[in-house]
Amino acid sequence: MDVGDPVSQGMIYDAQGADEIIVVDIEASRDQRLVDTRIINKMITKCRLPIAAGGGIRNVEDACRCFSEGADKIVVNTHAILNQKLIGSLAKEFGNQSVVVSVDVKKKPDGTYGVYVFSGMQYVEEDLTTLLRRVVDSGAGEVVVTCIDREGTLQGFDVDLYRTIRNLVSVPLIASGGAGCYDHMVDLFRETDCDACTVGKMLFLRDYDIVRIKAYLKGEHVIVRDA
Amino acid sequence: MKIGIVNNSLGNVGSVYSALQFYHYDVHLVSKAAELKTVDVIILAGVGNFPTAVRKLKRYRLWEPLNEHVLGRRKPVLGICLGMQLFADVSLEGGRTEGFGWIHGEVKKIEGDALRLPHMGWNEARGNGHPLFADMKTDFFYFMHSYHFVPVEQSVVVGMTCYEGVDIVSAVHQGNVVGVQFHPEKSQGNGLRLLRNYLKVAAS
Repeated sequence: MDVGDPVSQGMIYDAQGADEIIVVDIEASRDQRLVDTRIINKMITKCRLPIAAGGGIRNVEDACRCFSEGADKIVVNTHAILNQKLIGSLAKEFGNQSVVVSVDVKKKPDGTYGVYVFSGMQYVEEDLTTLLRRVVDSGAGEVVVTCIDREGTLQGFDVDLYRTIRNLVSVPLIASGGAGCYDHMVDLFRETDCDACTVGKMLFLRDYDIVRIKAYLKGEHVIVRDA
Repeated sequence: MKIGIVNNSLGNVGSVYSALQFYHYDVHLVSKAAELKTVDVIILAGVGNFPTAVRKLKRYRLWEPLNEHVLGRRKPVLGICLGMQLFADVSLEGGRTEGFGWIHGEVKKIEGDALRLPHMGWNEARGNGHPLFADMKTDFFYFMHSYHFVPVEQSVVVGMTCYEGVDIVSAVHQGNVVGVQFHPEKSQGNGLRLLRNYLKVAAS
């Protein structure tokens, strides 16, 4: 679904008081290229909030290009999972705080979760528990876990997933996939100890905005930053 | 009032540049000493490693000219994050490196019990009534640092921040020298307001 130019979208969410923007080219790894770093530069010059950027980052040089265009953090998914040394070298070069690891999972029939790379196209043998421990141990500063089954469904977060993995992740854990209404976020923050959540489609469809989301969460005693 | 942002030394300054341009200020990127002469206000902004920044400023032959403009001609200067840390006499980041010494003090690693470093994210910076913090909607600003500036004289401190029980100096002011530890250019409305407040302070 094409919802418009990333920079103008970013400016809207910035104006509404988003805490951070994550901008990822989800096809970059599959197409064996790096995210167009000009977009990062356009975003940092148009938006006044921290920006985490990613898509196709394979090595320190790729990450360096994102940072020199002004990214505050980088987001690594496929190559952090396939190349066991990548997170360590990125964390050493840029500091843990700047390295966000993103992991895509799908629920298996037996109730456990399988890990996927290349935007959900390829299954990975390594199990989720081992993987999460490994990325945190090697220096991930934050972990975003996306439930592919929920992504874009507007049906709510997979609360069980985050409850299960919270203790495996000693750094900030960000829930992703499924936000569709205010109460999905209230449920997530009441039922789990996630540090933050991502909101995508729910905002693209224009029925909600971040000002009202934060006001609602505040009313439900979820701690949010006033913007 | 012509504003010059020192370029090429302290990481990407595009967001500081555009934040000021947003309000149609006469803002320029400065890469050479000669360009410093033409500006009324100097901004040192950026993140990164203290020794690297000092080395780069010297390599681009900006170090002595900056000293001359700030100390000699008393031009207003705003330091942001690493830019503010450069005001100190010395930094202990990666050994011992001398800073400008415009405000006496040291840059040290943030220390505390079970502290997560760097201090990164939104946090509150409380002003002591200084005009820099006038008319803020909230106290939230965006921080990204592991080292902090510890000035000798408490009288220069105009803003403080608490990070997991550790007090951090988040804003300083002494004469024509003003510094903030957080990133106004990444702090949405509060940040833009602070930059405008600063320019009023600089003009007065």
